[in-house]
Amino acid sequence: MSLAGLLACGAIRFVTAGRAATPFDRLLHVVRVGWGAALIPVTATYLAVFGAYSLALTPGRANLFSATTVAGSLLCSLITVLMVAVYTALLPWTAAYPAAVGLVALGLYELYVSVVFPPNVYFYEWYGWSRDAVSHSLLPVLALTSVAAGAALSWPTIVADVRAYRRRNTTLTARVQRLTATRIEAVDVAAAELRRIERDLHDGAQARLVALGINLRAAQKLVKDSPDAAAAVIAECQVASSKALAELRALVRGIYPPVLADRGIADAVKALALDCPIPTVATIALAGRPPAPVESTVYFAVAEALNNVAKHAEATRAEVTMEHRAGMLRAEVTDDGMGGANPEAGTGLLGLERRLGVFDGILTVISPVGGPTIVIIEVPCELSSPKISIS
Amino acid sequence: MRVVLAEDLYLLRTGIQRLLEVHGFEVIEAVDNGPALLRALVQQKPDVAVVDVRLPPDFTDEGLRAAIEARRQVPGLPVLVLSQYVEQLYARELLADKAGAVGYLLKDRVFNDDQFTDAIRSVASGGTVMDPEVVSKLLNKRSRVEPLAQLTAREREVLALMAEGRSNSAIAQRLFVSDKAVAKHSTSIFAKLNLAPSEDDNRRVLAVLAYLNG
Repeated sequence: MSLAGLLACGAIRFVTAGRAATPFDRLLHVVRVGWGAALIPVTATYLAVFGAYSLALTPGRANLFSATTVAGSLLCSLITVLMVAVYTALLPWTAAYPAAVGLVALGLYELYVSVVFPPNVYFYEWYGWSRDAVSHSLLPVLALTSVAAGAALSWPTIVADVRAYRRRNTTLTARVQRLTATRIEAVDVAAAELRRIERDLHDGAQARLVALGINLRAAQKLVKDSPDAAAAVIAECQVASSKALAELRALVRGIYPPVLADRGIADAVKALALDCPIPTVATIALAGRPPAPVESTVYFAVAEALNNVAKHAEATRAEVTMEHRAGMLRAEVTDDGMGGANPEAGTGLLGLERRLGVFDGILTVISPVGGPTIVIIEVPCELSSPKISIS
Repeated sequence: MRVVLAEDLYLLRTGIQRLLEVHGFEVIEAVDNGPALLRALVQQKPDVAVVDVRLPPDFTDEGLRAAIEARRQVPGLPVLVLSQYVEQLYARELLADKAGAVGYLLKDRVFNDDQFTDAIRSVASGGTVMDPEVVSKLLNKRSRVEPLAQLTAREREVLALMAEGRSNSAIAQRLFVSDKAVAKHSTSIFAKLNLAPSEDDNRRVLAVLAYLNG
């Protein structure tokens, strides 16, 4: 029955052994932990039973063996309890609890069996061994050896388990902290963007349309009496509508550039390079399109980097490269300018870093004084297959 | 002059069609999507096409792609592309076949009907008309390309206006110089860009192309 318990325990451990690399690794893990964890209570129980039995067999001769056996059994029980405690406290309960329950159940079962059905202690007499010789020398040695072996075998695994769990815990905590931070930032960025769009519309196109309406009304009144003045006002209206359109165009570019919507990031970045006042070469090797939000964020990051090149770097040429390798989209903007760019100084790059952070992306600026400046944008993502052209 | 018009918004389509008809153009077909445009262009072979970049079914750049494909099948088919925004990238794609007879304008240029119809006629006759917004971006660019860097400031101005599709006399008016002076500047530009004397229109196209690529 203890063998059955041992197997049950092993099965539980096998299932809960987690993501050990191969089934063989998991089996090894089970054997190590299971052996130690199950051997100790089993041995402890037998030691206790044998101890009590030899005490009962030799009344008045409470010899050294009995004392050692009782003490040993207590020690083993203590170790078992400690192991269960350590497992239950430090490992995720899903992994440790079944094992712990198995151990306790096993111990209880062995105790029950030993009390209700006293084990056949005469088995060694069948072999013709002297009872005293066996009980005085062989049993304690065997018991202690097995306990020591079990503990030695299982301990490193248990320690490793605990360490791995702690490490995972630390990683998860850090991840949760980062996600919380980037989520707040993402919400802030989105809210600020909406406010900016609202303000731009309110002060720009909306105001111009109001003026347009007023002017048209004025023209309507003027048209009979002074057609020339009316014509002038209408000409003004035309200018106002052109300006409103230009502002809307600029606004749309800032929200989601049409070329990005039409062609995806590769061509959109090529378009950026073409528009950059500094001669810029774009080398882009992408087999598909990243997810739309990533695409847009990386586009704006590259746009900001090129903007900085044009504004601050005093460069004569710039280069943009973009590639996707091993699940990472990587864009690099290099210029031959004066260097010394400080990402902490401007709000532009910081804002980008926050926007990239939402996708676990990172922004690196390498800019020694004297140049060159390299801005590296990296975002983990997958590419979708390229769109099939209709033409 | 036979015109094919592609515009998906009903109001704009009828508006442009009316405007064209008022100015004596004959709109032989007005379509509202990319595949229909390609078919109309290849089958009808109009004197000029006025095409919106963004069309159904995808609402991306079907108009542009259909125009480029049609020009692949019918080389030099005159196409004027209209868009809510202009991209140098698209301008270069349109010009890439070096056949001329292309225009690329912001949609609001339609407001000025005289300029708009001038542009259509210019494209129909093999000219190249780029939106001032495309050209002004190029003016800001510090060119490092050898032949372009050799141009004087005045020659760059002339070239920019040439890219906008203006005739020599229009350029002369704009810059307050004589027609002769403009002709002199253009000869000098062609020489510096190594464009051998040939048909003037084609040289203008190539000069504009060099300018866009700079």
